[in-house]
Amino acid sequence: MFGLDFTWLLDPTYQGWLVEGVWITLQLAAVSSLAALVIGLFGALGLTLRLWWLDALIELFVEVFRNTPPLLQMLFFYFTLTQLGFTIEDPVTGLQQPLFNAFFSASVSLSLFGGALCVEAFRSGLDAVPKATLEAARSLGYGRWALFRRVQAPIATRICLPGLTNVLTNLFKTTSQASVITVPELMYAAGQVYNDTFRTLEAMLLVLVIYVALVSLLSWALLRLERLFAYPGYGQGV
Amino acid sequence: MTSRSEALIELDGVRKSFGDTEVLKGISLNVGKGEAVCVIGPSGSGKSTILRTINGLLPVDEGFIRVGEHRVHELRSDREMRPLRRQVAMVFQQYNLFPHRTVLENVAMAPVQVLGHDPEEVRERAVRLLAKVHLDGKESRYPGELSGGQQQRVAIARALAMQPEVILFDEVTAALDPETVKGVLETIRELVVEGMTCVLVTHEMRFAREVSHRVCFTDHGRIVESAPPAELFDAPQDPRTREFLAQVL
Ligand SMILES: Nc1ncnc2c1ncn2[C@@H]1O[C@H](COP(=O)(O)OP(=O)(O)OP(=O)(O)O)[C@@H](O)[C@H]1O
Ligand SMILES: [Mg+2]
Repeated sequence: MFGLDFTWLLDPTYQGWLVEGVWITLQLAAVSSLAALVIGLFGALGLTLRLWWLDALIELFVEVFRNTPPLLQMLFFYFTLTQLGFTIEDPVTGLQQPLFNAFFSASVSLSLFGGALCVEAFRSGLDAVPKATLEAARSLGYGRWALFRRVQAPIATRICLPGLTNVLTNLFKTTSQASVITVPELMYAAGQVYNDTFRTLEAMLLVLVIYVALVSLLSWALLRLERLFAYPGYGQGV
Repeated sequence: MTSRSEALIELDGVRKSFGDTEVLKGISLNVGKGEAVCVIGPSGSGKSTILRTINGLLPVDEGFIRVGEHRVHELRSDREMRPLRRQVAMVFQQYNLFPHRTVLENVAMAPVQVLGHDPEEVRERAVRLLAKVHLDGKESRYPGELSGGQQQRVAIARALAMQPEVILFDEVTAALDPETVKGVLETIRELVVEGMTCVLVTHEMRFAREVSHRVCFTDHGRIVESAPPAELFDAPQDPRTREFLAQVL
């Protein structure tokens, strides 16, 4: 059928490239998701302090990283910073090397991109906690911090989980753009394979299946998390 | 009427504006210990606003507010208000329970987390209070699994768990089905009989007449008339009171 030929998959070299690619994709996704969550949390927390200069700073960060293509950000961190002189000398060859290697550049840009989206997700969660519920907590003597920790944050977390699931699955898919700056992740590995075998369609199909499987696994896990934290009247997917 | 010095709650000349609209135009009100005072009046006349100034949820622009030894108008932050909030509990129209916590946790949370009381002792207290509001057996349910009337009784138990000296009730039956109103009113009536100091905003005129020691009628940010229920309902002095009562009775 269609003359598809997957015999190259039996070749240990190609297997090795692909396995390595999946492994690097997973690392990239894990590192940048974690960092994005931390950035998002601190960003949203910063906004609750209501300091005009901090608000302006966070707003600017969110606007810049949410509204520019992640690919452009990656290229910026990888090439532009190098051209601006952020380089180190390779101790062996004596050549100037980028200060940020490809993996690091990709991680940083994905973290910032994801972080900007996470700030938004966390913020909308915090905003969605009913004012009346917070007022009830204040009337029971909760101070600012206890109110945040015991009432606002737990409710907000549940509200923003679906939004975060969106952001994280998106971020996972966006890791594929790191192939452009030669991070040997899954997409890059696939390119190597078809350059070698000329089996472009087959390689792409395989990568497609792998991405579907990985992203489905991720959203399934996050959905489980949502269900785990759900309380009656909210988040049970009625 | 309670004399000034021995009043538990004292408001004098309290004014509050939202933007350009003055919502409270000089409210003066005394409530003695063990007294149940009902506040009635048309929608938007400032009833909820009065309650919210008493426990400091809303800062006032002018005037004097005292609850026990706390001079509320001088307190600035939620932290400074903690001792006051411990003394004054509040029950809201929309219950405002914590949806992510079980019924028992809703009742026990604040005494443990805010007052630092012993968790075991608070647990027993919470179980006892839930039984008192006829909710035994519902301890491990979540608010979302209860009817409005049951949620409101949890809210009352939550208020009582703080062992307050005063409870403020803001139209606590207004969002309830007629069948469940009775249970909630019964619970409040028991509290009044036991001597709890209560300020109740209500639309239930019959309840106000039966349960309260004194009724205040508010209109356009002022307390127009204040008298024992028999007097206020049967022989209202002010034409505005008469007009309002003619509409609602
Ligand atoms: N946070 C606020 N910001 C602006 N205006 C407010 C605010 N809270 C109350 N008001 C206004 O103050 C007035 C009095 O409100 P309040 O809630 O005290 O009335 P109420 O007597 O409790 O009415 P109801 O019977 O409808 O509950 C209303 O006109 C209302 O619109
Ligand atoms: Mg009101």
